[in-house]
Amino acid sequence: MAAPNPAVVSQDPLEPVPLIDGKYTDATINNSLLEHVWRGAGKGWWACFAVALSMLGLLLIALTWTLYKGIGSWGNNIPVGWAFGIINFVWWIGIGHAGTLISAILLLFQQKWRTSINRFAEAMTLFAVICALLFPLIHTGRPWFAAYWLLPYPSVQGIWPQFKSPLTWDVFAVSTYFTISLLFWFLGLVPDLAALRDSSKSKVKRLVYGIFSLGWRGSGRHWQEYRWAYLLLAGLSTPLVLSVHTIVSFDFATSVIPGWHTTIFPPYFVAGAVFSGFAMVMTWMIPARKFLGLKHVVTMKHLENMNKIMLVTGMMVGYGYLMEHFIAWYSGNPNEMGQFFLTRWHGPMRWIFRVMVFCNVVVPQIFWWKRWRTSIPVMWVAAILINVGMWCERFNIVVTSLHQDFLPSSWRNYAPTWVDLSLFVGTIGLFSTLFLLFLKFVPAVAVTEVKELRHELAHDPTAEPVGETH
Amino acid sequence: MSGGHEQQGHDGGHGHDEGGHGHGESFVPRRFVLAEFGSPQALLEGTTRMREGGYKDLDTHTPFPIHGLDEALGLGKPKIPTIVLCGAIAGACIAYSLIYFCNVIDFPLNIGNRPPHGPPANIPITFELAVLLAGGSSFFGFFTLAGLPRPYHPVFESEEFRRASVDGFFLSVDLPIGTDADRAVADARAAGATGVELVTESER
Repeated sequence: MAAPNPAVVSQDPLEPVPLIDGKYTDATINNSLLEHVWRGAGKGWWACFAVALSMLGLLLIALTWTLYKGIGSWGNNIPVGWAFGIINFVWWIGIGHAGTLISAILLLFQQKWRTSINRFAEAMTLFAVICALLFPLIHTGRPWFAAYWLLPYPSVQGIWPQFKSPLTWDVFAVSTYFTISLLFWFLGLVPDLAALRDSSKSKVKRLVYGIFSLGWRGSGRHWQEYRWAYLLLAGLSTPLVLSVHTIVSFDFATSVIPGWHTTIFPPYFVAGAVFSGFAMVMTWMIPARKFLGLKHVVTMKHLENMNKIMLVTGMMVGYGYLMEHFIAWYSGNPNEMGQFFLTRWHGPMRWIFRVMVFCNVVVPQIFWWKRWRTSIPVMWVAAILINVGMWCERFNIVVTSLHQDFLPSSWRNYAPTWVDLSLFVGTIGLFSTLFLLFLKFVPAVAVTEVKELRHELAHDPTAEPVGETH
Repeated sequence: MSGGHEQQGHDGGHGHDEGGHGHGESFVPRRFVLAEFGSPQALLEGTTRMREGGYKDLDTHTPFPIHGLDEALGLGKPKIPTIVLCGAIAGACIAYSLIYFCNVIDFPLNIGNRPPHGPPANIPITFELAVLLAGGSSFFGFFTLAGLPRPYHPVFESEEFRRASVDGFFLSVDLPIGTDADRAVADARAAGATGVELVTESER
């Protein structure tokens, strides 16, 4: 094994840092990356799973209550007609975006370091989108009635959805995003499931992984089409991920509410999505690489790169905040100026705004220093703060903008009910449950791609011995 | 792996019908020469030599895609890109005409006297559906072309073949009826294989 912290070993910034730490063969890579699947669940896993399941229970209670009582049991009421439902929707969908960015955009840019983290991030995308989808569904109150104005099916009423509405665009964007993410994830997983099938010791496991690997036999004829199918799905996901959060931002930007009515929303939402998504990847990856024994493929180099992306996207988000203020001032519109210079900074919700600025603008600045960028505790705390900050950002956009809009006589404060809070905590439970199951039953790192990468590195004429170069 | 048995009418119908024995035609198992090579490079060279030696139904089995195998196997152009393009075009056309039909022809909604046909507002859904159908045709197109899912394949008869998804580089040669298996085994060895095995399809 090489030194545990290659970033410290390499003094020269131009000298490449290993992407696979240590010397491995295909078989040892295979075993080291699949080992956590074969190993029985430890006490830590069961403890986390118990917590996650109890939070999931809370979700079920809150969901049942919402469907039984109606959305009157939530805290939102005029003028704050949108609150937790939409905040959580936007927050979760943003978290999902890092997965697509890592798997698709970095693949197209041929960033080799993505290989170790893409499976992990794609799974996160999938589970985050499931959590996100729940909110627009239940915020309609009675989803079984909502179908006719959301989906164009020929109902007996003879009417159709209004396709000029951004909310209808949203339905198509998010459901497409979920479907494509699922297909992309599963396609990447098939060769790894075959590896699991073939290295399994028990007959039952062999049968189960055999079913899911669909009889994959690594055929050269299949690989030819497979590589194209995978590349094209990546190519399609790239504009898709940009379009999804752009369309989500249209839900706000096409309206006239001060704080929503702005043209910077699409790029600022996409940057914020990537920012929060990377923060969520870090939150999970740091414990996972320790407990699943993935430190040799998810090296300090990977963590450092992700921190750099958080620094960049954090500054883009900061620029978005700055521009919102500038345009509000430049417009000369008293409602716009009031929203940004009075309500946000000094209104009843000012603490949420200030926490947001601290977490999203100030905290990422520590990543300018290599010392903090390569410190595990620092980056983990920073990642969690960024998650908090991005949730606050959505709260500011949705609630702070609505609770003081045009006429002071119609201003009203907002407070969530226990149902709102339970739904939010419950989706964290749903996400964690799915993620823990994923970590238990599926290889958390794309084994096939790591093997391919190792061979590529080995045949790079400029490279040093296998696994030692970049 | 003992999954469902599926015969795909290979090489002029030695597939068997439902209860084939009753129809007089007995089950003729397919035979494969399964040759293992030490490295991707050796596999590439071995595949090329076997193909030049006149063997037709060659396939390789590797844990990850290897550059140059397409040429070594003599494969044509991949079909997926065309399929995906068709999917994308179909998606865009379906979406736009659906919107047009719903909001312009069948049930025009007059909101603030805006025209029923507003092209810019139709772009997002047109784009999303194009991506959805393109991605779907990439995924399902691939599995259709590959003939998967297919739980049973004669190469799975070999215990060694379990390494094909881990760290083994295999070449399989589908032997037509009447071919001399011993010669094919010898040819595979001459092509540089480190281990050669003859596998026979099992009846059930």
